[in-house]
Amino acid sequence: MSKRLIANARVTGLGFVDRLVRDYSALVVCLIGLFLVVFIVGMATAPNFLTIFNFKTIIRDAALVGIMAIGLTFVTLSGNFFLLSMKETAALCIICFATSMSSGYGFEISFLLTMVLAIIAGAAQGALIGIGGNPIVVTLGAAGLLFGLGSWWSDNLVVSFRRPHGAEWLGTGSFLGLPNITIAFILIAISAECVLRYTNFGRQVYLIGANRAAGKATGHENFPMAIKVCIIASVCSAFVAIAFSAQVSSAHVNYFSSEFGSSGDMTIMVIATVMVGGNSIMGGFGSTLRTSSGAIFISTVDNMMVLHGFNSGPRVLAVGLMIVFSIIVFALVRRGSRAQE
Amino acid sequence: MILKLSAINRSFGAIQALKKTDFEIGESEVMGLVGENGAGKSTLVKIIGGFDDGYSGEYTLDGAPVRFSNPSRAEKAGIAIAQQELSLIPAMSVAENIFLVGDTVPLFSTKKSLALKAKPYLEEVGLDKVDPSISVNRLSIGEQQLVEVASLLAHDPRVLILDEPTAALGESDSVRILEMVERLAANGKSVIYVSHRLDEIFKICHRITVLRDGISQEPRKVSEFNVHSLVESMLGRELENMFPERMELTGTAPLLEVCGLWPDATVEPFNFEVYPGEILGLAGQLGSGSGDILSAMGGASGTREGNIRYKGKEFLPKSPKEAIKAGIAYCSNDRKLDGLFLGRPIKENLTSPALGRISTYGILNKGSEERLALGNAKKFTVDVTRMGTEAGLLSGGNQQKVALGKWLSIEPNIILVNEPTRGVDVGARAEIYGKLREFANEGKAVIFASTDIQEITGLSDRIITFYRGMQIGEIVLEDISATKVLEQITHPFGVHQEVKTA
Repeated sequence: MSKRLIANARVTGLGFVDRLVRDYSALVVCLIGLFLVVFIVGMATAPNFLTIFNFKTIIRDAALVGIMAIGLTFVTLSGNFFLLSMKETAALCIICFATSMSSGYGFEISFLLTMVLAIIAGAAQGALIGIGGNPIVVTLGAAGLLFGLGSWWSDNLVVSFRRPHGAEWLGTGSFLGLPNITIAFILIAISAECVLRYTNFGRQVYLIGANRAAGKATGHENFPMAIKVCIIASVCSAFVAIAFSAQVSSAHVNYFSSEFGSSGDMTIMVIATVMVGGNSIMGGFGSTLRTSSGAIFISTVDNMMVLHGFNSGPRVLAVGLMIVFSIIVFALVRRGSRAQE
Repeated sequence: MILKLSAINRSFGAIQALKKTDFEIGESEVMGLVGENGAGKSTLVKIIGGFDDGYSGEYTLDGAPVRFSNPSRAEKAGIAIAQQELSLIPAMSVAENIFLVGDTVPLFSTKKSLALKAKPYLEEVGLDKVDPSISVNRLSIGEQQLVEVASLLAHDPRVLILDEPTAALGESDSVRILEMVERLAANGKSVIYVSHRLDEIFKICHRITVLRDGISQEPRKVSEFNVHSLVESMLGRELENMFPERMELTGTAPLLEVCGLWPDATVEPFNFEVYPGEILGLAGQLGSGSGDILSAMGGASGTREGNIRYKGKEFLPKSPKEAIKAGIAYCSNDRKLDGLFLGRPIKENLTSPALGRISTYGILNKGSEERLALGNAKKFTVDVTRMGTEAGLLSGGNQQKVALGKWLSIEPNIILVNEPTRGVDVGARAEIYGKLREFANEGKAVIFASTDIQEITGLSDRIITFYRGMQIGEIVLEDISATKVLEQITHPFGVHQEVKTA
């Protein structure tokens, strides 16, 4: 081998990114810094940004997407990837709830009916995934089925029910100045985090997600797990459907395809939220706390853009950028913390 | 010296992996690199191979200082590294794999011309009988290792680094690797040979560099060492006994009987039993069925027929979950595949099979989890200050201790272990053997399968031998010897007799 080739091996120092990731604390500072930057930019450029009213708006906007994303986080953490049927589950559930309400069954019965429907939908998908079906294929199929059912049931029409009705407290009610849906979001976020941290079930979610084969070898099988996490995700979808229906006193299968967040598509917003929060797509690493922060972060950026009068194009772009950015950042953090051996 | 590293320092956070380490290798020399797990061998190899450039110190090639920022630069400079994990593409042909990387082949070449070009490299590694146009997945793991080296030779390296090439291989494949190394050295290549198998080190190396706690010792000629002194310089202390003392067996009734259990992968059903207090060794080469019977007993793989008789009942666990319930722990031979949750903390790994024991009504009790994990960690001398660290960050030996140690958390009656010490250094090995013996001494039983003759003869109270999916014989304690085991697991029907097939 010639001297020329040896000389090719240039002398290098450490790159900026390398130095950044080798120092974990520096990275955390960077992330907090980013949050601050968004805030300061918001404050300086949009006069209404830093008001209590606007903060409430941000959290309320984050709530519906956030609750669904918390449900989906269980699926992702357990290594079962994503459910692509989140918005279709919600679509069928909102039709079910509104039809039941308009038939005069009252809130409690309608709520229960809708939840039973969601549990059946979740369990069926979970069972198919649990016996080895590809989550993408299974839930894509389920999405078509659920949406078709909802559309057929409602004749693709708006189902409305009259005010006053028993669900108003959930849709538009508030407690101590906080909208009830915001309170629900906070309670669900806290309890989900507790379940993951402090229960046998939560530990199994992480273990199976981290290594499915090792999970099986230690007696934790994915079949019951897939069913459980899919039911959780489905029930969260149903809850959001009910809350939204209660808010607008009506239902249509397309509500979750056009009304939500910047991108207008609930499934995409929910998956984006899980990812921006920094949960590992492969499972085994992450938390619902991360998902909740992801929801609030996305909502903050979106809110700022709305205050500046951006239309939906740039706002979708922003969500996309946030996903890419968070994937890069969290991948680097993981690599940085693993650099040693 | 063509390659020389002096006063290399490398630290990861607070841990200093290499402390003023020196290393050198001369023309057509085989240099053994030995040390305990975590002694810094992998770190040193990574620096030499260009995988890691975060070190300080001097690295020279032919006297000229170099610093490789990535592996391909090192490769261009003539340094090739064969990893522990194979990087071949199974569905592609041998020849295609050899020329997979780099620009040594013209853009348009036929299968035939590729095969022709591959031939000399295959000869160099001793695979002259292999057809270069067949796909790689038809070769044995040992042959695949050799193909991997052949693909490195295609870049005409001067220094080859072999990092535990025989860790996953049986006896006969290992011999081929050793022959290859000798041939390469005779052809003028320098080889850095990293291995835990000391017999191999003595067989093929010219000099040995010992690493201990990141500090290197002056390389010495292999003739200046014997096994005892080499182990001593690796550990920094004398290793009294690799294998723990055997105890008198008291139980006369079997603890567990295997009754005509026929695993999917074997030729015939098996019958044997294990007594309380006993360590039963299942000897056999890769594919002999000795590991398959263990996974079948542990509910981890399929069977055609048969049962186990245990606690007066005849049954067969259909899943590891059922085996765990019955007090049978099965530890597979591949800790990365299904033995460890690499991304999760050590603590969670150690308690993973026993969540029911550390929770009440489904709520985890952090206190009892801590106690259970710490207890197991202490038994296996896993560093208790690192309980929150990801298991993936541990060295191979410590990983194996966690993979095995987690099974103590269910307080099993029987431990089934396939290859208890693969890729584990001598110090950790002795510890694992000691723990298995301690466990058996409590009146419980251990059944282990191994391809390592030394381990089989040193640890077992009794040995069952296997050959190509068949159960061959039983060797009782008084008759245990390496020759007897080897004979039964390599040529049980005599050298010339044809073997019956499935």
